Amino acid sequence: MTEPHILVRSLSKTYHVPERKEGLLAAMESLVHRRYRDVKAVNDVSFCIEQGEMVGFIGPNGAGKTTIMKVLAGLLYPTSGEVRVEGFVPWERKTEYLRSISMIMANKNRLAWENTTLDSFKVLAAIYRMSHAEFRSVLDELIDLLEIEQLLHKLVRNLSLGERMRCELAAAMLHRPRVLFLDEPTLGLDVSMQLRLRHFLAEYNRRVGATMILTSHYMADVTTLCSRVILIDQGKLLYDGDLTGLAERMAPFKLIRLSVDDSQGQSMREIEGAVLSAKYQVTIIDRADRRLTLRVEKARAAAILTHVLGELPVVDISVEDPPIEAVIDQVYREGVWL
Amino acid sequence: MNLRGGWELIKKSYLGWMASRGFFWTLTFGWMVPSLLYLFVWVAVAGQGQIQGSTRDDFIVYYLCLIMLNQFTYPVCNWTVGDSIRMGRLSDWLLRPLPVMFEAIASDIAMKMVCTPFAVTVTVVLAFFLRPAVHFSPQSVLFFLLAFLLAQVLRFLMAYTLALLALWNSRADALLDLNDSLVFLLAGQVAPIALLPGALRALAAVLPYRYMLGFPIELLIGRLSTTEIWQGFAWQCAWVIGVLFLYRFVWKHGLRHYTSVGG
Amino acid sequence: MWYYLRLIGSFLRASIQEETASRVNFMLNILNTILSLTTGVLGIVILFHLVTTIQGWTFPQTLALLGIYQLITALQNLVIQPSMNSLGGIGGDAWTGRFDYTLQAPVSTQFLVSFQKWRLWGLVDVVLSCVILGIALTLLGGQLGLLQVAMFVLALCISLLIVYAIFLLLTSASLWQHGVPLVWIFTSFMQLGRYPVGIYPGMLKLVLTWIVPVAFITTVPVEILTKQVSPIMLVGGAGIALGLLVFASAFFRMSLRHYTGASS
Repeated sequence: MTEPHILVRSLSKTYHVPERKEGLLAAMESLVHRRYRDVKAVNDVSFCIEQGEMVGFIGPNGAGKTTIMKVLAGLLYPTSGEVRVEGFVPWERKTEYLRSISMIMANKNRLAWENTTLDSFKVLAAIYRMSHAEFRSVLDELIDLLEIEQLLHKLVRNLSLGERMRCELAAAMLHRPRVLFLDEPTLGLDVSMQLRLRHFLAEYNRRVGATMILTSHYMADVTTLCSRVILIDQGKLLYDGDLTGLAERMAPFKLIRLSVDDSQGQSMREIEGAVLSAKYQVTIIDRADRRLTLRVEKARAAAILTHVLGELPVVDISVEDPPIEAVIDQVYREGVWL
Repeated sequence: MNLRGGWELIKKSYLGWMASRGFFWTLTFGWMVPSLLYLFVWVAVAGQGQIQGSTRDDFIVYYLCLIMLNQFTYPVCNWTVGDSIRMGRLSDWLLRPLPVMFEAIASDIAMKMVCTPFAVTVTVVLAFFLRPAVHFSPQSVLFFLLAFLLAQVLRFLMAYTLALLALWNSRADALLDLNDSLVFLLAGQVAPIALLPGALRALAAVLPYRYMLGFPIELLIGRLSTTEIWQGFAWQCAWVIGVLFLYRFVWKHGLRHYTSVGG
Repeated sequence: MWYYLRLIGSFLRASIQEETASRVNFMLNILNTILSLTTGVLGIVILFHLVTTIQGWTFPQTLALLGIYQLITALQNLVIQPSMNSLGGIGGDAWTGRFDYTLQAPVSTQFLVSFQKWRLWGLVDVVLSCVILGIALTLLGGQLGLLQVAMFVLALCISLLIVYAIFLLLTSASLWQHGVPLVWIFTSFMQLGRYPVGIYPGMLKLVLTWIVPVAFITTVPVEILTKQVSPIMLVGGAGIALGLLVFASAFFRMSLRHYTGASS
C-alpha cells in the first residue's frame, strides 16, 4: 500500500503564551513579573490526504487550523506526533521538500515593497533554481491564469489589495509546488476576484495535480473547491469527510417550504396553529405573504409531510436540505456540538 | 484645547512602547554613545591640566549634562511622523478633533517617559564613578531652565518640520539624518562650542543647532559673560520664531499637496 | 558553488532596484555618508587643533584609525547590516511574520539572512574611507613593505569576520526576544573604536578588548600599518574570528529551532 501524500498521526502542539491584563498598573507590573499560560493549540489530530485532493480546513477562529498548516509546511515543530508530506518530515526542512511546497498566508507579504513585481519574481526564480526557459513558461501561464500582465512592472507598494493578492499568489506558485497550503487566500477580496481565484486554483489542481489544503471564511471557497472537509475546533479534529455528510451530522434537518391558500376560510394564523399543534417537532423559521418555511427533523419529515398535505390547503410545496453555508456559519458562530 | 484627548494619546503611546521597552532603551543607549565617547576623549586629552581653561572635571560635567539634555530634547518625531505619513496614518489623524501636532507631541512625551529612567540611571552611575566637582549657581539654573524650554521647542519644531517633508516625497528621511549630523557637529557634541576653531565657532553661533543643545548647558556651567547670555537668548528666540514660520509654511503647502494627491 | 554566487547576484540586482526606486533618497544617502565622514574627520581635526597627541597617538595615526573604522563600518553597511537588519527589531521580518517566507525558501537560512540585502551606496563610503586612510598614511610617511600590506589585508579580513560573527550572534538573539535590536548596541559600542582604546578607563578598556572586541577590530589593522605588530596577534585574532564564527553559526541554528517552536 503506497503511503498517502500527506500523513498526519496524533499531532499535538502546545504554546507557552505571555499574558498581561489591561491598564497602566498592570503594564508596570509586567516589568518585574511575567505571566504565562499553556495553550493547547492542536490536540491529537490525525488524517491522511491523497495526491491531488483538495481539502478544506474549517472551524472557528483560533481553532488550530493555521497551526496545523504551519507544521505541515515545516514552519513549526509539533510537541508530539508524526507527520510526513511527500515522504519528508516537514520540520527537517530539507531543500527537496521546500522546493515542492508553498504556503500562502493572508496579510503577510512575500513580495518586496520597493521593487517591481517582475523583479521580485526573478529573485524567487533564482532561489528556486529555475532555468530561464522554465521561468518564462511558468510566468506566461500565470499571467494568463491570473491576468497580471499589467502589474508586472508596477512597484508592489502601488498595487491595490486585489492586485497584490494576485501577484502574491503568482509568486507562491512560480516553482510549481506539488503541495499548497492556503491560509485565507481570498481574505479582503471582492466577489469577482474570489471567483477568479477559485477558478485559478481549480485549474492549477487539474493541470498539475497538486494537493491543496485550504482554510477560508468564505464558505463558497470551500464548497466550490473542496470535496472533502476537515472540521477543527479547539485543536481537536471533529469531522473528516465530505460536506454533505457534515451537514447531515450537524444539522439533520430538512426544510419544507409551503405555499398555502388562505381563501378557503382558514386564516394564516389558524394555519400556522394547525402546523404547530401537530404532535411532531416543527419550527417555523420563516413566514411571508402566504408562504411558510418549516424546519423539521429528517427522520420525521415524511410523517410531517403527510400530515401537512392532508390537513392544510397547500398550493405548492418543496423539501430541501438546509444550505451548507448556513450550517457552517452556525459552526463558526456557535461552535460545535457534535 | 482638547487636553483630555492629548492625555489619552500620551497614555496610548506610552503603553504601546512600554511593551517594547527593550527596543527603546537600546535606542537611548545609542543616543548616549557619541556623547560618552567624546567625554572620554576630552577627559583623556585634558589629563591633569587644562584645555583653554577647562579642566577634566569641567568636561565631565559638560558631557553628563549633555547626555541628559540630549535625552530630554531628542526629537522622536524624526521617525514617527515620516513613518506615519508613509503608512497612511496621517489620514486618521486628520479626521480627529485634535491638532495633528498633538500626536507627534504625545509620542514624544511618551517615548521620553519610557526612556528617561534608563538615561538617568546611566548618568547617575557615571557621575558616581567619575566624581566631578560640581557647582551651579541659582542664577545659572534659572537661565538654564528658560533656555531648556526654548531649546526643546526649537529642536522639536525643526525636526517636525523636516519630517513633514514626507508629505511631498515619502522617502526623504535621509534629510533628517543630515540634520542630526549637523546637530552633532555644531551643537556642542563633538566639542564644547567654545573650543571649536574660529570659523566653526562663528558658524555655530549663528545656526540654530547650538541653541538646541549647547547653549543651555553653557548657561548652566556659568562660563558665559552677560553680553554673551543676552546675545544667546536673542538668537535662540529668533530661531524659534523663524522655525515656527517655516513650520507653518511647510504644513500648509505640504497638506495641500498631500490631500490633492490623495494621501 | 555557482548557485550561491548567482543568488548573490540576484539579491544585489534586487537591492539596487529597490534603492534607486527613490532618486531623492539615494542622493541624500550619499550626501549623508559624506557628511558623517566629514564629521568624523572634523572631530579629530578639532581635537588636534588643541593638542598634539592623544595617549601617544599622533594626528596621522588617529586619522588612520578613523579611516579603518570607517572602512570596516562601510563594508559592514554594504551587506552585513542591511541583510541582518531586515530580520530583527520592530517591523523586521521576525516581528511581522515575513520570516516565515524566508524559512520556506529552499536555501540555507543563514545564507539568506546574511546576503539578502545590499546597500550599494555603501561603496561610496568604502571609497571615501580608503581616501582618508590614504591621506593618513601619506602624512605618516615611511615605506610600506609587501609583508606589511599582506598582514594588513589579513587583519582586515579577520576584523570583518569578527564583525560578521557578532552580527550573526546578535541577530540570532532577536529571534528569541523580538524587537530588541541588539545589533544596534553593538554598533554603538563600535563607535567607541573611533579613538585609541587607551582613552578609556581600566574596566571599559578591558571590556572593549576582550568582551566586545572593538579594539581588536579597529586597532590591530591600524597598528600593523603604523607601528609594529607581532604575527602572534594575527594568529590570535584569526583564532578568535574562527571561534566566534563557529559559535555564531551554531547559535543561529539553535535560535531557528527555538523560533519554529522546537521544545529543547
